[in-house]
Amino acid sequence: MATRPAQDRSLTSSASADGISIRALHKEFRLGRSSVVALEDVNLSTPQGSFLALLGPSGCGKSTVLRILADLEQPTSGEVMVHGEPPSATRRQHHLGIAFQDAALLPWRSVTANIRLPLEVSGVKVPDAAIADLIALVGLDGFEKARPAQLSGGMRQRVAIARALVVEPKILLLDEPFGALDEMTRQRLNLELLRIWTERVTTTLLVTHSISEAVFLADRVAVMSPRPGRVAALVDVDLPRPRTPDMLRSPNFHDLEDELSALLFQKGVAPSGDDV
Amino acid sequence: MADDLAGDVVAAVPVAAAVGRRRGQIGTSWTAGVAGGAGLLLAWELIALYWLHQRDGVPTPVAVARVMWHDLTSHYIFHVASLTVKEALQGFVVADVAAIALAIAFVQFPPLERLLLRLTVATYCLPLIALVPILSSVFGSQSTAPRATIAALLVFFTTLVGTLLGLRSADASSLELVRAYGGGSWAQLRKVRLKSALPYIMAALRIAAPTAVLGALIGEELGAGGGGSGIGVVMISTQQRLQVADTWALAGWATLLAGLGYVIVGLVGRAVVPWSATGRRS
Repeated sequence: MATRPAQDRSLTSSASADGISIRALHKEFRLGRSSVVALEDVNLSTPQGSFLALLGPSGCGKSTVLRILADLEQPTSGEVMVHGEPPSATRRQHHLGIAFQDAALLPWRSVTANIRLPLEVSGVKVPDAAIADLIALVGLDGFEKARPAQLSGGMRQRVAIARALVVEPKILLLDEPFGALDEMTRQRLNLELLRIWTERVTTTLLVTHSISEAVFLADRVAVMSPRPGRVAALVDVDLPRPRTPDMLRSPNFHDLEDELSALLFQKGVAPSGDDV
Repeated sequence: MADDLAGDVVAAVPVAAAVGRRRGQIGTSWTAGVAGGAGLLLAWELIALYWLHQRDGVPTPVAVARVMWHDLTSHYIFHVASLTVKEALQGFVVADVAAIALAIAFVQFPPLERLLLRLTVATYCLPLIALVPILSSVFGSQSTAPRATIAALLVFFTTLVGTLLGLRSADASSLELVRAYGGGSWAQLRKVRLKSALPYIMAALRIAAPTAVLGALIGEELGAGGGGSGIGVVMISTQQRLQVADTWALAGWATLLAGLGYVIVGLVGRAVVPWSATGRRS
């Protein structure tokens, strides 16, 4: 294991103020008679209000971790807690905000109505002014009444982010929210996400396969290896906050990028070239 | 067989208009459809006049059109068609409401689908003629319900399958989103599945509308129930009196009626599903 000893302290701590706490998580998927081990002995923990990135190649189970935290999948064994409560409780109490790679907007609803969807489902009441603020926060003023078909890919993801924030979640789960966008739009939206996140500090889990995205956004990066999915290394990102675009050019940023790519590509983390 | 062909010609016009959805194509597809139809009618006229004139059974399109016009000006067709339309509407509404409700039940309670889907296939495969005496004795020989039931049986399965397909077409991420915010399967149904299914349901209803008209007609022709003379009943009696042009005129009216149903449901569909018909405009 490439875990650096310096990061181990929070891995073993079990304070009740924990944000995300995952211990000895196993997940098997059954396919008829055979079964596939998706996650094996995954351990992760972050303090409340911190930003964790799960970085790894496709098929390493990082989305499965996110889906278990969202109570969309059940763990085969192990303990998963979010702010001291199990994911099912988090989900039922509407403490959860989530965004996928696919914006998953309902095509018949306007921007505002799409952002309202979580409120309608959960019964949480939020004043109209708060929704207007949220639309402004993600930079979509003037598009309140637009339909998804009239928006660009980047704008749709902005709606998805606003929708994830509307219930004022205690935990934000982002599954490659900008993964399908072009590099330039992605960079810009990462900056915006950082700005939004700074305004409403929330325990956040970001699943990504972009090294620079992980370094730029996260407080801590968990590097995952596939087959079976496990956490190969934990790297703390010691860049100060608030983070600015010129940090992208700093030597410290590049060192972290190099360290992560070394972990990803030299330690047998990336699979031997079949589906990356 | 021959009046099926004539039916296709008349029905081809709205079909061509519906297929040529893109603006640039509407003009050309209309012209092509009209030209094709006119060519076919002309060929029919010539064949009826010069090759088959010794035989009864093949009236010229002009003779048929003349009877149709007379049916219209004498208001006779309204008198006859109103009953057929009533039967078709009854069958259409009952079957579609039942089919949509059952499709929803199947999606919400999957074991129900395993239990009942094969049975619903049977409703579609059953020879209707076997049902006629049963329906007549259940509803009474003076009731229009047996005819409406036959129309309903022809419609039910296609609407069921279309609705099921539509409810299942809902975007998986949107369904998970509803779940992640604490919603259950009914919230998924209300917020995502029903609207996603709407284009499929409207497409199924579009097929169902002409089918219901023809189903009512078949019911009348098979002598199911009673309650008055619809188009099918009169068609049989003109046939027996060898008034061939009259029979074909009625067939023409029935075809127009079925086509009208198709067009009306199509227009309603465009109105209720604006995001799929016009979402790409501008």
